[in-house]
This record gives sequence, C-alpha cells and structure tokens, in this order.
Amino acid sequence: MTRYASPKLAAYAALSAVGLLTALVFGRPELVALTAPFLLALAAGLALATPPRLTVHVEVDRERALEGDEVTAKVVVSSETPVDRLDLYLRLPDGVDLVEGRNPVALHLRAGEQRELELRLLARRWGGHLLGPAYVRARDPIGLRAWETSATARPELRVYPREDVLRRVLQPRETQVFAGNEVSRRKGEGIEFADIRPWAPGDALKRVNWRASARRSELWVNESHPERNTDVILFVDSFAEARQGGVSTLDLAVRATAALADAYVTRRDRVGLISFGGILRWLVPGTGLVQMYRIVDALLDTQIVLSYYWKEIDVIPRRTLPPSALVVALSPLLDDRSVGALLDLRARGYDLAVIDVSPVPFAPRPASGLDAVAYDVWTLRRDALRHRLQRAGAAVAEWRGDTPLQAVLEEVRSFRRYARHARV
Amino acid sequence: MWTNGDHLASIGAVLGAIGLALLTLGLVLRWPMTIPWAVLLAAAGYLVGRLGSSGVDGWAALIGVLLLTSAELASWSLEHDARIHAEPALIVRRLATLVALLAAALFVNFLLLGTAGVGAPGSVLLIAVGVAAAVGAIAVVLRLARA
Repeated sequence: MTRYASPKLAAYAALSAVGLLTALVFGRPELVALTAPFLLALAAGLALATPPRLTVHVEVDRERALEGDEVTAKVVVSSETPVDRLDLYLRLPDGVDLVEGRNPVALHLRAGEQRELELRLLARRWGGHLLGPAYVRARDPIGLRAWETSATARPELRVYPREDVLRRVLQPRETQVFAGNEVSRRKGEGIEFADIRPWAPGDALKRVNWRASARRSELWVNESHPERNTDVILFVDSFAEARQGGVSTLDLAVRATAALADAYVTRRDRVGLISFGGILRWLVPGTGLVQMYRIVDALLDTQIVLSYYWKEIDVIPRRTLPPSALVVALSPLLDDRSVGALLDLRARGYDLAVIDVSPVPFAPRPASGLDAVAYDVWTLRRDALRHRLQRAGAAVAEWRGDTPLQAVLEEVRSFRRYARHARV
Repeated sequence: MWTNGDHLASIGAVLGAIGLALLTLGLVLRWPMTIPWAVLLAAAGYLVGRLGSSGVDGWAALIGVLLLTSAELASWSLEHDARIHAEPALIVRRLATLVALLAAALFVNFLLLGTAGVGAPGSVLLIAVGVAAAVGAIAVVLRLARA
C-alpha cells in the first residue's frame, strides 16, 4: 500500500508555522487566532489518520461471452479499519464498456464492513480482456493523508467473436484420406456415382450394375466418388491493420476466420490456423469441436504487434501446412511480408484463396490536392497487387465489410470455377 | 485627509483583495498551491490593517475560522472530480466533519482571545503555547475516540 501526504498537509503546516512565528515577532494574539484553526485541522487530521487494512477483489459472473453480451462484474471491498472516504475505480479494458453501475465511486466504510459494487459490462469487442486492476484510494477525514493500493488478481473475460453462419464454403481442390463431407474426385467407396467398369475379383455383389451387365453380357460394376475430408488452413495476416473508430480490418478478419472455422469443422474437415504477423502463431490442423475452440481461443490472442523482422513462410512448421491443403488467407494486403508469404505459398503449389479485407473504407479519400492523388495511386497499387496474386493463380476477392462474408466467398468460388475451366 | 490608520487599512484591504483574486484564479485554473498563498495574503492584509491599533480584536476568532473555511472549501472544490460518483451519505459526512472542525476552531479561538483579553499584555508566547497544548489535547481525544 502506497502512502502519501496531500498538498494540504504541507500547506497547513507551513501556514501554522508562519502564523505562530509572526504572532511571536509582532506580539499580536490575533495572529494566533488566525493560525489556530489550521493548527487544529492539522492535529485533527493526523490524529484521525489510521492506515486502512483493505481487501479488494474483482469477480465476473462468467469467464466467456459472445460479442454484444452483457456480463456482471462485482468489486468486493472490505476494511478492518474505518475508512472515511474510499475512492474505488475498476479500470476497464478497451472493448469492454460500462452499461450500468457507478465507476469510479466514492464511499465510506465502517470497521469490518464489506461492500459489493455491481457493474453491468458490455463485451463490445472480441478478445481476451483482463478486467482491472481495481484501484482504491483511502483518505483521512480531513484529507491530509491518503493510501493507495490495487487488486492484484485480475479476472479474464474471453469474448468470442459473433460470427456469420455460412451456408457454403470454398471447396478444396484436393481431398484427404479420411471420411468427410467433400465428394472426392477419386474413385472408390461412396455414394456419388462416378463411372462403371468391368467386374474384377474382390468387387462386392451389391456394386454390380445389372442393367449395364445385361447389355454387355458380362459383369460390370458401379464406381463412385468417396466422401472425404479436406485440409483447410486459415491464414490471418496480423502484420498491419486499418482502424477507424471501434472497427478494424483485423476485427473483420477474425470474425470471418471464426465463421470459416466453424463451417469447415462442421463439415468434418481438418482445420488449422496460421496467424502471420509480428507474433507468429499456428495451430496444427485438427478436427472436431475441440479444434474449433482451440482456433477461437488462438484467435482471441491475435493482435497487431509492430515488427520489422522479415518473416518468410519457411518459419512455419511443415506439418502445419499439409500438402494439398486449401489455404484461405484473410489479409488487408498492407504488408509486403504477408503478400510475399502468400505468393510463396502459391509458388509451392498450395491451393490458395485470398480474401482481401479491404482497408479502403477505413481511409476516406481526401477531397483534393496531392493527398487525393496519393490516395488514388494507393488504390491503384492495391488493384495491381490483387491482379498479381490472381496471375499467380490465387483466387482473390475484395471484402469491404459492408457485404456478408457469404457473398465474398461466392465471388471467390466463381473465380476458382472460372480459373479451373480456363486451365482445361 | 488620510490618517496613518486609514492608509494601513487600505493596504490591508488591497492585500486581502489580492488574496481573493489569487484564490479565484487558483480555483479557475485548478492550481492547489494558490490556496495557502491566498490565505497568507488575506491574513497579512488583516495584520497590516490591525498594526495601528492596540488591544485584542475579538473578530480575529471569526476571521481565522473563515480563512480555514475558505481554504477547506477551495480544497474540496479542487479535489472534486465529476467522474467519481460520491454517495450522498459520504457528502453529508464530509460536511458534518467540516462543520465540527470549524465549530471546534471557533471554540478554541474564543477561548484564546478571551484569555488574551484578560491576560497580561505581551504574553503571546504563553498564548501560543496554550493554543498548541489545547490543539494537542483535542488531537489526543480524537485519536482515542478513533481507536
């Protein structure tokens, strides 16, 4: 606990000393009368000042919430000694707003009394938010001395992004060996009819196509496409963001990533995550609800960290990027390092789709002058960058945030379909 | 025609006015360090005004309390932060504390000036020691009551 004297203590002490000395010098009892009240305030203040023995802690009714949810935080403060005036302040992190309750608040505590202050908080933005610290400042009745302390324990509130529900996602070109919802191009055991072929020893009787066999006077069997799972890597660019007000390109990217992860995990695909930025994070592809929670938890810790270190895709462990995986990148394409990494991925043969979380709406065009020219050049360079990625074979779609994610995915799907036909 | 006493009184009034202006400036600009200087100037103005006269001025008891009142209210004003929601009971308690302090100060001052009025002239040192003793006694009582 930090103790300090208010400026009033020094001022009253100085006034009392000067007053009494002047009274002695001039020999006037009236000056003693002018000084006596300050001397009395000083003495009373120091006599009544007792160091408080305070206990403060903060509780939250739940540790996890969705964006837009309201949670209740409770600040519990108790004191073994009387506190004449206690200022209490719970610092709220950016992304958590106060809806109801008083913060900061000044109150009085009797000896042994415990007070609970309830605060209704709005989880406005996704992220792992640490509530507090809760600062307390106790003062003596005259306000000459003060004691400050803070609650060391800070509860964490993990706010998950509220994601869109996606009806259809991007289908990877290649499937994997495990069962899933994606119809494979290969032939094997499955439901989707693929072709017919002559019977071979070992073929099951149920696969015999009797109509074709009767026509050809020999046994022919049906072939089908098996349903397989796919590997999808969600690539979040956290090198840079464009922010205006409470919204940023990273917010959009994180929400979209959560929605995509949810959709792919529901399809029983293996989903991995790469957060490529100042802090590099990755999650090895996995499947199931546990993997979904892992991804969302990892996303909550995503933040923009300034870094000048040149990172290449080589720094990512090989098993994080399985061969023939679909890489869905969400990037504002603001940093050359992430663009370089995406081009590198494409050059290595990965099936790449890029959702350009456009920073353009976050930077309004200046009305006129050189700034307007610079803005136009910047947007043209962005177009050129997207074109460069498209020439490299990556499907790119610009997302300005005002359209649903599903619409952007459809744009990417149509590009991929068109690109496939063109190649044939 | 101005006498010496009138001249001193006008200087005292000017000092008091400067003190008041300084206090106002401090409140407007939220400078807490102007409060003791304003009190000092006002007290100096009173002293200068009283230099020509002999005898003990009974109004000094009230003036001392008024100086403390202005200093306390000014401190309260500067400390006030509109963002901090103070409970009504806390404000009442603080007001009661201030009133009690001022009443005690007035009582001490009346005792002091009463003693000075009947005592031998030139016994200021004795009075000052007496005030310090009285204040100390009050402090001890308060401390014991707090414990």
